[in-house]
Amino acid sequence: MEEYIVEMRHITKRFPGIVANDDVSLGIRKGEVYALLGENGAGKSTLMSMLFGMYEPDAGEIYINGEKVSFRSSNDAAARNIGMVHQHFKLVDNYTIAENIVLGVEPMTRKFGILPAVNIKKANQDIARLSAEYGLEVNPTDLIENVPVSVRQRVEILKMLYRKAEIMIFDEPTAVLTPAEIDFLLKIIDGLRKSGKTIILITHKIEEIKQIADRCAILCRGRLVDVLDVKNASVREMANMMVGREVEMDLHKSPANFRETVLKVSHLTVENENHFPLVKDVSFEIRGGEIFAVAGVSGNGQTQIADAITGLAEAASGSIVLKGKDITRLSIRKRTQEGISYIPEDRQRTGVVMDFSLEDNLALRRYYREPYSGRGILNFGEFRKNAELLIDRYDIRSGQGPKTIVRSMSGGNQQKAIVGREIEEHADLIIFVQPTRGLDIGAIKNIHKQILKERDRGAAILLISLELSEVMELADTIGVIFSGEILKTAPAGSLTRNEVGSYMMGVREA
Amino acid sequence: MTKVFTDGLSFALPLLIMAIGAIYSEKSGVTNLAIEGFQGFGAFIGALAAILIMPRLSSSSQLPIYIAILFAAVGGGIYACLHALLSINFKANQVISGVVVNILAVALTTFFTSAANTAINGTASNKFILGVSSRYSIPFLSKIPWIGGLFQRMYPFEWIICVLAFIFWYLMYRTRYGMRLRACGENPQALDAAGGDVVKTRWIAVVISGALSGVGGICFAYSIMANFSPSIYMGYGYLAIAAMIFGNWDIPSTALVCLFFGLAKAGGQQLCLAMKLSGNYTDLFNMLPYVLTMLLLIFFSKRNHPPKACGQPWDQGRR
Repeated sequence: MEEYIVEMRHITKRFPGIVANDDVSLGIRKGEVYALLGENGAGKSTLMSMLFGMYEPDAGEIYINGEKVSFRSSNDAAARNIGMVHQHFKLVDNYTIAENIVLGVEPMTRKFGILPAVNIKKANQDIARLSAEYGLEVNPTDLIENVPVSVRQRVEILKMLYRKAEIMIFDEPTAVLTPAEIDFLLKIIDGLRKSGKTIILITHKIEEIKQIADRCAILCRGRLVDVLDVKNASVREMANMMVGREVEMDLHKSPANFRETVLKVSHLTVENENHFPLVKDVSFEIRGGEIFAVAGVSGNGQTQIADAITGLAEAASGSIVLKGKDITRLSIRKRTQEGISYIPEDRQRTGVVMDFSLEDNLALRRYYREPYSGRGILNFGEFRKNAELLIDRYDIRSGQGPKTIVRSMSGGNQQKAIVGREIEEHADLIIFVQPTRGLDIGAIKNIHKQILKERDRGAAILLISLELSEVMELADTIGVIFSGEILKTAPAGSLTRNEVGSYMMGVREA
Repeated sequence: MTKVFTDGLSFALPLLIMAIGAIYSEKSGVTNLAIEGFQGFGAFIGALAAILIMPRLSSSSQLPIYIAILFAAVGGGIYACLHALLSINFKANQVISGVVVNILAVALTTFFTSAANTAINGTASNKFILGVSSRYSIPFLSKIPWIGGLFQRMYPFEWIICVLAFIFWYLMYRTRYGMRLRACGENPQALDAAGGDVVKTRWIAVVISGALSGVGGICFAYSIMANFSPSIYMGYGYLAIAAMIFGNWDIPSTALVCLFFGLAKAGGQQLCLAMKLSGNYTDLFNMLPYVLTMLLLIFFSKRNHPPKACGQPWDQGRR
């Protein structure tokens, strides 16, 4: 029998209305990178939360180094040298990096020989050394609130190293990173493996697994489908197993059929609160039946263009004309009534009300209209009907149907709910900002199909995406934005991937 | 002028120790409007201890004051358990819990003061007569022109409060517990993930909050009130909360704000005397700290950063 550092046998975990893990058994060898692949809501995070002691399994056993364990809290897991980097970092914003790392296991000293005090100096030195040893490049005295997401993630890794973790769980570590940061992270993970750590990588991105993982367990709807040796498995094979059906890798995009102009943006400038221009003199037009994609590196003003059109941000100058009507100064509701739908970038902040039920969220765009309300009184029967229709049509999965609190749903299903709600408005202009961020391949294809369907119906689509492949796949027209300016606008067919890439880096006429 | 400093400081320090109590609670993530109730209930227990011990000692003895301070801290700490239980264990709305705790303190202490007086000396008075603490001047320092007033005719409790303030400043900013406490009010998930105990940290903080408020309350009872009665609920607990907010939840800044309030109050009284206005106007001048509070709120509330998780009950399962 093989020696495993972690073994999970016949694990089952139920939540109200849902079986998160159904009789899952797996064994992980010391010093390997073991990937857990599955769609959003397939039960990967739940499974690892049990290994980390955050939940207790309803049935099944966990063995560490051949010894049976039962964790009641993450402290128990930490005592067995297990560490986890959560999807949402658990850091104190106004503490320094070093303070965050030592919190809970503070090194102590005695001031004047008597008064106990936290030894911050020693903490700073230890962390500087540890950071250099693993090539993590963090400055121990920086405040968390002043460092970017990628550094915060490295702080979480240092937290595990400082606590001498041998088994490290990464929950969707690349979801928040840019491509360059992802490469850097994968290098770090490789370094950790070389120093003998065991890495468990929860992800739905098959390319990463191909790059870094040794073996890969595939979960689908709570069940273990298979465990594969990564170097012998194909991407398509893994994708099919993950989704549980044949995935269409290619989209069937019909030829474009442009109609009259729907949106005309002229000389738009948007400023931040310090009157610094984030969008500079941008002009473009979108016709009905056209997908206009804005490509660019994050933070170059894309989001602000969308905010200015929907009314979330004010235009400093320029005009926005929708179907011949100037909407530059209209209120947000007036604009949506003129025919704009919006799938925002930050779905949890702008897209849904996290602590409302699914049916309430699905009615957010229409609650004030007949038949959802009459004479100022809400008609909850219609809310329910609307929710049931959308849940069915857009395959929104949740624990308790229309009554589910949105916070408890997976990110992919939250996004499906927003997309469904917005598309059902049958608006003339639909704005998608990062519509597939953090979603798995099945959900991505599903949303891409919806976008194409709306385009074929005759809607004008503004697609803002950081994923170049998404832009190349869907766009009819591409506008490349750099530092708030659209450097190039051209039909999608006339640009190659590399050309778009160099415009994104700010290279003007090549 | 020297009297402004003397009176100002003797008002500012009890206010400060209550404000430090409030800071402890809020830095741990528990909104605390219950300071008013804590200080009243703490003062009640302290005063009760004092009048029980007084007949056994000579009338000039200063010992009851120290016993009263000790018991006020214990009483305030015990009473604070109610707020801790409601807002931490039962996850009640912390604002409502604080208000209820205040109302309950007024009712309980008024009732028990009368009951205790009936039992001890047969009169149903709602007052414990305590007298005013003795005062001492520090040699040399009190002779300094202008600010010498700060060191003249000091109550002994002022020194106790200074020592306590330093100890609790040190505890918050230099020790392991303080580091966890501040993390707890910013992001309890971070503390939990790091192996800290959020519930325990918050409980200790709220009990400290009650104990320090009790000390503040009994010091008021032994100085400007000279007795314990329902008039202890003058709103100084709320003033301490205001001081905490202007002080941006930071102990040294809050100390300066308290000193400012103290000087404003004492200055107002002296102004009233200097202008030879009738006693009817004293109340008007006593409003000065509150008027300043309102004015300062306008300017300061924008740049303030309350602890991020303050007011949110801790729920481990929340994502």
